[in-house]
Amino acid sequence: MRPAAVPRAPWLLRALARFEQIATTAAFALLIAVVFADVVWRWVTGSGIFWAREVGVYANIVLTIIGIGVASAHGAHLRPRFMDRLVPPRFEAMMIRVQELLTALAFLGLAWIAWRVVAETMQLDDRSIVLRWTVWPIQLVLPIAFGIGALRHALYAWWPEHRPREQSEADIELPPKVRA
Amino acid sequence: MSGLLLAALALGLLALRQYVLVVLAAVAVYVYVVWGDGRLDNIVLDGWEALNQDVLLPIPLYMLAGGIMAEGAIAERLIRFMRAVSAPFPGGLAVATCLSCGLFAAIVGSSTVTLLAVGTIMYPALLKAGYPKAFSLGLICAGATLGIIIPPSIPLILYGVMTSTSIADLFIAGVGPGLLLLGMFTVYSMVVNWRMPRGRWDMAEVRGSLKDGVWALLMPVLILGGIYSGFFTATESAAIAVVYALFVELVLYRKLDLRSLLRVTTDTTKLLGALFPVLMMALALNKFLTFEQIPNQMVALLESVLTTPASFLLVTNLLLLVVGCIMDIGSAILILAPILQPVAESQGMHPVHFGIMMTVNLEIGYLTPPMGLNLIVAMTAFKEGFGFICRSVVPFILIMLLGLVIVAAFPALSLFLLK
Repeated sequence: MRPAAVPRAPWLLRALARFEQIATTAAFALLIAVVFADVVWRWVTGSGIFWAREVGVYANIVLTIIGIGVASAHGAHLRPRFMDRLVPPRFEAMMIRVQELLTALAFLGLAWIAWRVVAETMQLDDRSIVLRWTVWPIQLVLPIAFGIGALRHALYAWWPEHRPREQSEADIELPPKVRA
Repeated sequence: MSGLLLAALALGLLALRQYVLVVLAAVAVYVYVVWGDGRLDNIVLDGWEALNQDVLLPIPLYMLAGGIMAEGAIAERLIRFMRAVSAPFPGGLAVATCLSCGLFAAIVGSSTVTLLAVGTIMYPALLKAGYPKAFSLGLICAGATLGIIIPPSIPLILYGVMTSTSIADLFIAGVGPGLLLLGMFTVYSMVVNWRMPRGRWDMAEVRGSLKDGVWALLMPVLILGGIYSGFFTATESAAIAVVYALFVELVLYRKLDLRSLLRVTTDTTKLLGALFPVLMMALALNKFLTFEQIPNQMVALLESVLTTPASFLLVTNLLLLVVGCIMDIGSAILILAPILQPVAESQGMHPVHFGIMMTVNLEIGYLTPPMGLNLIVAMTAFKEGFGFICRSVVPFILIMLLGLVIVAAFPALSLFLLK
């Protein structure tokens, strides 16, 4: 986590980060609660909660898909770097804009495809297996997350100074107490 | 020709510094358009189906449990106990470092978290006690890699998901090779530090540290014992690990506050947000490849080239060693496991054994430049030069290569605990 990057960011980036943090923390809490409740219920009654796994899976989907934005906001996405030195240092600034713009376009494409899937699921009225919930409101997390990703990386391409320092793979797992 | 274009597309995107997620998405679009029916909706639909399964639930839960324990007081207490127990051995402090790495690995399932949690305490202690700097650095970097082979292990879960192999079986199979590597590191530490002054067993300290760290020591017993006895599934043990870690750190040790917990949660979400979309794309791509019978064609092709299991083992291990140098272990498993595992099976290898061998092999990638994760973390955390750290791990890489040969040659080492 790199909290110092957030206060400098424009209000839109801050708002996106806040939304993502609230949504993912709530999804994480729900995931832990239902899976653990399922285990305890099985100990107590001999059979688990029949809907717990399905709710847990949906919480996990929300957590990890909205988490794409959290990873973007902290420059934490996985990226092999062995070809980075192909570009001479004098083109570095331009390279960053190209990188961010391409990423934004890729996310935009994924958002468009995901929206088509959601529209189709809505039309077919697909339902979940156990709880018979309508699936499309949960699937909506896909175009939303990819759309936010497109917007965020487009903003980074436009204002590279607001882009978080891209973490080396090493930084990804540094616990805060060590970083401090 | 279209295969060459695909390779050029992937390399071009990497040169343009695109994420693994974007590269895999572009590859998926390409293969769906060129070799499939061109319906791009299927990429997202297959990705959705890939995520919509409960086999993935242990990943966020184990990652959060590891984050909580790395942030809290568990590492310090484990190390205190290990130091008390190993004091009279030759190179006692080095042995304590090995054992602490092994035990902490059995709790957190992450190599770099183990490196930092154990290393930040033991590296200064080793230097103060007069151990050579190169040995100390190499030992901590190498010992930390045990985090991904001793269960619970995120790479083993990823392998299980990608190849439909039982995660519980993989966890149990990781114990033997994990202990083998731990034993090899420990013996090496004793031999090269034979002349270092030895301590004596202080029973009061052993008892005190055991009492102090008993809650932490119970953690691997709970996780592995539950899975091995069949009492928990991997998902259930992961949920219990999170709740147990929260209980120990918030209520018993009181080293973690809610603000730290929120920070750990955000850090874990960041990792999940980087990993899961890649997993989603890799699984979608894998589904397409399976539908088009590409793994079967790969098996047929490789069987004609690699005529014996020994040649398969040699070529696969060399390939994985190279891949481990340039790619993170998660991406390597997501991309290569579904392609290589059917070939391994056609050569008579047990899928669990192949998963363990693959993980032990890629574990070496944590120590090999230019992308060795533990080298980079150690450089940042211990403020040492990259070249010096690279040289310091050479003896340990040789030990791990010997361990890899043993793991590959003796399947029973991985499979003996499986029922």
